[in-house]
Amino acid sequence: MRILAIESSCDETAIALLEAKGQSLNLLKNQVYSQISIHKKYGGVVPEVAARKHLETIIPLLGSILGKDKLKNIDYLAVTAGPGLVTSLLLGLTAAKTLAYANKLPLVAVNHLEGHVYSNWLTSSDLVKNPKKFLPALVLIVSGGHTELVLMKGHGQYQSIGRTLDDAAGEAYDKVAKLLSLGYPGGPIVSKWADKGNTKAYDFPKPMLTSPNFDFSFSGLKTAVLYTLEKKKNINKKDIADICASFQAAVVEVLTTKAMIAAKKYQVKSIMLAGGVAANKALQQSLLQKSKSQNLPFFYPAANYTGDNAAMIAVAAYYNVVAKSGRIIKNKDILTLEPEANWQLSKNKI
Amino acid sequence: MPEYISKNVADTTKVATELAKKLTGGELVALSGNLGAGKTVFVKALAESLGVKDVITSPTFVLMKVYVPDNKKINKFVHVDCYRLEGQEDLSDIGLGDYLNDDKIIVVVEWADKVLNLPAKTIRVNIDYRGGDKRHIVID
Repeated sequence: MRILAIESSCDETAIALLEAKGQSLNLLKNQVYSQISIHKKYGGVVPEVAARKHLETIIPLLGSILGKDKLKNIDYLAVTAGPGLVTSLLLGLTAAKTLAYANKLPLVAVNHLEGHVYSNWLTSSDLVKNPKKFLPALVLIVSGGHTELVLMKGHGQYQSIGRTLDDAAGEAYDKVAKLLSLGYPGGPIVSKWADKGNTKAYDFPKPMLTSPNFDFSFSGLKTAVLYTLEKKKNINKKDIADICASFQAAVVEVLTTKAMIAAKKYQVKSIMLAGGVAANKALQQSLLQKSKSQNLPFFYPAANYTGDNAAMIAVAAYYNVVAKSGRIIKNKDILTLEPEANWQLSKNKI
Repeated sequence: MPEYISKNVADTTKVATELAKKLTGGELVALSGNLGAGKTVFVKALAESLGVKDVITSPTFVLMKVYVPDNKKINKFVHVDCYRLEGQEDLSDIGLGDYLNDDKIIVVVEWADKVLNLPAKTIRVNIDYRGGDKRHIVID
């Protein structure tokens, strides 16, 4: 089965071509056009600019992926339908809808977060060959827009266990980077500074660490960093490194602790990390160490699959088709597909 | 121009609840105030009193989240956050055009000072942090 996937939920235009057969995933093409350099000067994604750039990029990218064969050997189209920026989603969705309808191909509408979950399948062949050995899994999804603990019982079966009540963890990184004038995106910059700092220099709050549920809150942590800065007259490089290190330690401790308690409570067979913040080395190390001590396999995506990409959307679409679990749309129904900016992976909360 | 001194979350909630009672639909509530001033606390309370059952989470990353409240008159509560914008665009540029000036919709915009051309029917709320847990809230 050959799947052509399009992803444009935020500031990356991505297209991938996947050949999937039984227990093998063969990624034939995978291209990502990142707009980060364009949005850098704004300190964040500007929706109007992002949408215009998607429009410029998507057709040439499609041409370079498909070549002269065009859609001859494609069985399914897949597209990210949400969550994301509605103006960005619309571009990828329109391209996918047009191609699918005009060529009478079925279209799989994929949830962006489900794509991130399946970035682990792109990284580990063990998961592809024997998913039952590792499911149910506890998935920690962390990105600029999401922080959520999800119980994955099988392909397409998700139950939300807890999520942030205010800011996402990645957003806290972005905001701290902005407070310290370090630039954008905040995640990689703050964690680089954190490597040089003392994690115990500041006693930042570890929000909801001991709350009897699996929800998170990162808004107060960002405010604590702000008040710390306001109290200081001058800050030198050591202060920046120490603040970043202490801030990161607080985030990592809360995420790891809650994930491990949830893993135990729901008796999962593995732990998975997904989303843009999955690239964070401190978080990877902390979860790796804790899952090792409980003899649980721990998966995290390879660095090139942590950011937004279409390969993960193609893999998610493949399992949607296999498990008949997703939104597979045909013929005229394709034309009515709309972007869902707030599409949740699972509404059920245990 | 009503002014309030809020000493804690409960006070801020009360001010937001009072404002919610006066809203009839079609209004835009524009919030301003620094990072950590308590804008999100205000929005959470406003949404809850309008019948939103979902947890209001930060829309910074996606800029806008739409909720469907349990309310006879209002069928959409739109939460916008312009924190990341640089003051060069107006609300229709970020995809808000469909939600403005509709009698059945309430739009709340955080960091409203970062967008241009707010509609005429705008209620401005400014929250100032005054040290400790104290906040100064002005509704215009």
